[in-house]
Amino acid sequence: MTVVSGSIAAFAGCLIACYLIDLRLYKHPLSSLRTSTVIILGFLCWLLTLLFAELVVSTEFIANTSSPLIAFNLSESAKWLGISASMTLSLRTLAHRTSYGAVIEILFVATAFVITLAAHRNGMIHRPFFIGDFALTRGIDPSAILMAFGCGTVLALSALLIAENNQKRLPYHFAVLGMLCFSLLVYVRLFGIPTPQTTDDLGLTGQEQNGSNSRRDNPFRDGENENNDKEAPVAIVVFRDDYEPLNGSYYFRESAYSEFNGVMLDFTTQDEMDRDLIEHFTNSREESEQLPGAEEERKAVRTSIGMLVPHRSPFGLESPIAYENTANPNNLRFKRTYDTYSLAPEYDFEYLIGQETGREDWSDEIWQEYLTIPDDARYKTLAEELITNLRPEYADDPFAKAWAIKTYLDENGIYSLKNEHAYEGDPAGSFLFGDLTGYCMHFSFAATYLFRSIGIPARVGIGYSVPASNRAGGSALLIQAIHGHAWPEVYFKDIGWVIIDPAPQQTLVDMTTDPQDSLQQLLGDMLRNDASFEEFLGSQQSSFVQLQTILSILYTLTALVLITAYLIKLYRLWIPSFASNENQYRLCYRAVLDRLSAVGLSRDFGESREGFADRASNTAPSIRPITDTHLAIALGSTNHTAQDQQEWTLLGQSARKEINSNTVAWRKISAVLNPFSWLLTK
Amino acid sequence: MNSDNVAEAQELTTAMSENSSAALAEAVDVLNTLKSTVQQQVLGRDDVIELVIIALIADGHVLLEDFPGSGKTTLAKALGEAIIIGSSIDESIVPFRRIQFTPDLLPSDVTGVPVFDSNSNAFHFRHGPLFAHIVLADEINRTSPKVQSAMLEAMGEKQVTTDNVTYSLDELFFVIATQNPLDLVGTYPLPTPQLDRFLFKITMEHINRDAELDVLETYKNRRDLSGQLNTVTRDEVLHARQTIDTEVSINPAIKTALVDISRNLREDDRVLQGNSTRSMVLLLPALQVSAALRDRDYVSAEDIEILIPRVLGHRIELAPGVSDLQKVLLDNMRKPMEQLAKSTFS
Repeated sequence: MTVVSGSIAAFAGCLIACYLIDLRLYKHPLSSLRTSTVIILGFLCWLLTLLFAELVVSTEFIANTSSPLIAFNLSESAKWLGISASMTLSLRTLAHRTSYGAVIEILFVATAFVITLAAHRNGMIHRPFFIGDFALTRGIDPSAILMAFGCGTVLALSALLIAENNQKRLPYHFAVLGMLCFSLLVYVRLFGIPTPQTTDDLGLTGQEQNGSNSRRDNPFRDGENENNDKEAPVAIVVFRDDYEPLNGSYYFRESAYSEFNGVMLDFTTQDEMDRDLIEHFTNSREESEQLPGAEEERKAVRTSIGMLVPHRSPFGLESPIAYENTANPNNLRFKRTYDTYSLAPEYDFEYLIGQETGREDWSDEIWQEYLTIPDDARYKTLAEELITNLRPEYADDPFAKAWAIKTYLDENGIYSLKNEHAYEGDPAGSFLFGDLTGYCMHFSFAATYLFRSIGIPARVGIGYSVPASNRAGGSALLIQAIHGHAWPEVYFKDIGWVIIDPAPQQTLVDMTTDPQDSLQQLLGDMLRNDASFEEFLGSQQSSFVQLQTILSILYTLTALVLITAYLIKLYRLWIPSFASNENQYRLCYRAVLDRLSAVGLSRDFGESREGFADRASNTAPSIRPITDTHLAIALGSTNHTAQDQQEWTLLGQSARKEINSNTVAWRKISAVLNPFSWLLTK
Repeated sequence: MNSDNVAEAQELTTAMSENSSAALAEAVDVLNTLKSTVQQQVLGRDDVIELVIIALIADGHVLLEDFPGSGKTTLAKALGEAIIIGSSIDESIVPFRRIQFTPDLLPSDVTGVPVFDSNSNAFHFRHGPLFAHIVLADEINRTSPKVQSAMLEAMGEKQVTTDNVTYSLDELFFVIATQNPLDLVGTYPLPTPQLDRFLFKITMEHINRDAELDVLETYKNRRDLSGQLNTVTRDEVLHARQTIDTEVSINPAIKTALVDISRNLREDDRVLQGNSTRSMVLLLPALQVSAALRDRDYVSAEDIEILIPRVLGHRIELAPGVSDLQKVLLDNMRKPMEQLAKSTFS
């Protein structure tokens, strides 16, 4: 947020303010100032330093006499010195002078930690690396470790701050803070860490910056410089379930262009579109918001993917429905490893005949978005011309129409990596109505525009397409740079997005690659082989107990302790209603004491019961007679007969009413929530 | 607020205490009469009056440590006047005597002396000032150890011996001794073992402003008042002593707490010499009276908290450099008292 000089000044400001307050607050002249005066003085100091900082940079005196750099540094120092000193001054004064000051201070420190650590969310920064790598090789979310650190720090700092004021109640405060930290952990465990919505100051968006093309680039231009390393391995896929695609290619979808931005199709900016896509990586498990239909025609396939080069988004075998982060067996080799759960299509194209397009829950706007094309009437003309030859029984069938368009492109298109249309206003139009020579981007855009022009909702899927033969019978499949692909997709009702990929019969480039079976097998083994993975883990792990197991045990234990504590609490309150008359004096009295300790009144160590009763009689006046009766029976001679249950119930009820009417609301709430209040009863 | 509930609860408690014996109630009446009578004469000293009455009923003696003119004689006299002889047979016993101790006092001046009667040609014992219900031994530290020990024998044994003849003192023999905490020149301070004979050592502080004003306002009226106040008889007091001893119960947990406190004190490094076992024995009846004064027929932690500092204060010798006796006592009481409180749950 600031330069080095500013940071040093901020630190110095804190020290000065701490020195001032901690050592001088109780001496003249600070001791004679009111709390509000001190805070206002701090605020004025801040304003003064701000003014000074502004003055230094806006006037040219210092810049001229020495250098602009010195002026800037001076201004930054002054500004941050003022901010830190005034903040510390106010907080320390409040902590010294008021009871709630310490709480505010703790909150402030905790917030500072949260802000600092928030940048690490979702693995945006894996620094410090020794923590990030340690966690990722074990399949643990590094943010959990960072959060544990944060909680620990907050607890330790709070302990220090509270100890200053009141050592007696320290364990109690500490337990409450511990509970808060624990509930934070549970929350994250149950609901995950929220994804940051906007770019923060550090330029982090939750997505990796390097890797494939960024959003603004023209997708038609990316072929320009890609030719040199087309065989470079990109990722390795290990099939955990057997699956053989019907059309001879494995499609891995990473993202899709679906929204027409005025020039061409682009990533959608609307929440309602492309809800089936999972656009960011996760450290745990991420599921698609919209599942494809026709499940009986699909096969659930689990694949493990190890990325060899960084990607912006995860990709998975079509149609991916969930991604799960997995332990990285070799973090030198793989950038990321995750499992993909896919519902891979097993239907024949005949199944698609007669199906309707679109989705029932699409609004009219969404429908419109999926049908928008460039303002060019030739698309519609061409598309209609192509479907006129359909047999009458298929004349109204969307799939038949789409197939006719695909066939046209198959027969007439020429595949080439030459890129002559990239700088046209509409590269797809230039390709389609020109020489029909281009690569996958041209074909997919042209097909999508043609589909859309006759009312078929379509988009361009992007990802990888690998010939099924590359798998060579093994369970591993190597994805290479050349397999990067784009294809048109059509949405069929109750089925989902269906790939209708034009395959030009004439091609000017050799798209085949040398079989890399040994590399494929090696990488596959590395990703899959559990034995070597275990070995690797053994070499990396010093502790032989899994952190995850310890955490799970810890969660369970804590939950058990909480539940038990609540049960005991309830038991102790209710048992007087069921106990015999002889035990009423003990149990009913204890229940009343429990109620009192829940609202913060409990007997001190060594204090007599009568002394406590006197102290508590402001809250519950009837505690005094209750105590006397209890003691008469407990300590008195045998001629004290036990009272019957009814009378005791009456006494207990009167005490309860008094406590209720003499306690503030937040105390009452904490009395109900605190599971350990009965532990304070003595 | 919830006055209904409180009233309800209190009603229940009174119903519970109805069972306690009527005899105890009678005894408590005697105590309260004594208390109110003395309170009318001595203003602003309610706590001291209560302690003195506890000591009287518990058959102990008290040592008052205070400044001249702070009302100790008035207190002793008021107490003596509140107890009338009643049906006593022995005419030699009077309600109240005061002895001013001086360095030249002889033991016979205190106990009495046989004098030769020329008429009957025989020695007759002339009773000394000890033959009374209430004896005020003023400035006991000013007299020689010889007289002090004669005095202390009388206190311990309730008898005096002169010329090998032993004369019994009254059953209700109660000594209020005083000493001046300052002005120690020419005194014979009582050693710790002798202090052990006193149940309480009460350090009186100056009474508060309102009470002092009250004293000045009403001193004339109070002088006239004597003679019209309620009194109790010696026998009633003795009867009350017996009743309280039998009717107020002491739970074993109370005794455990007392023993534990003593043991803790003896083990404490800050304590040079702990309290005697006798002090605990003497404490038990005092606890019973304290409980009775609070309308209880059982001894409770409250009684211990009130009486322990008074009983143990002069029996403990602190190590050199340690001055805060109250803190030492409280530190050593905390654990046994906690156990006592906890024992009511089991």
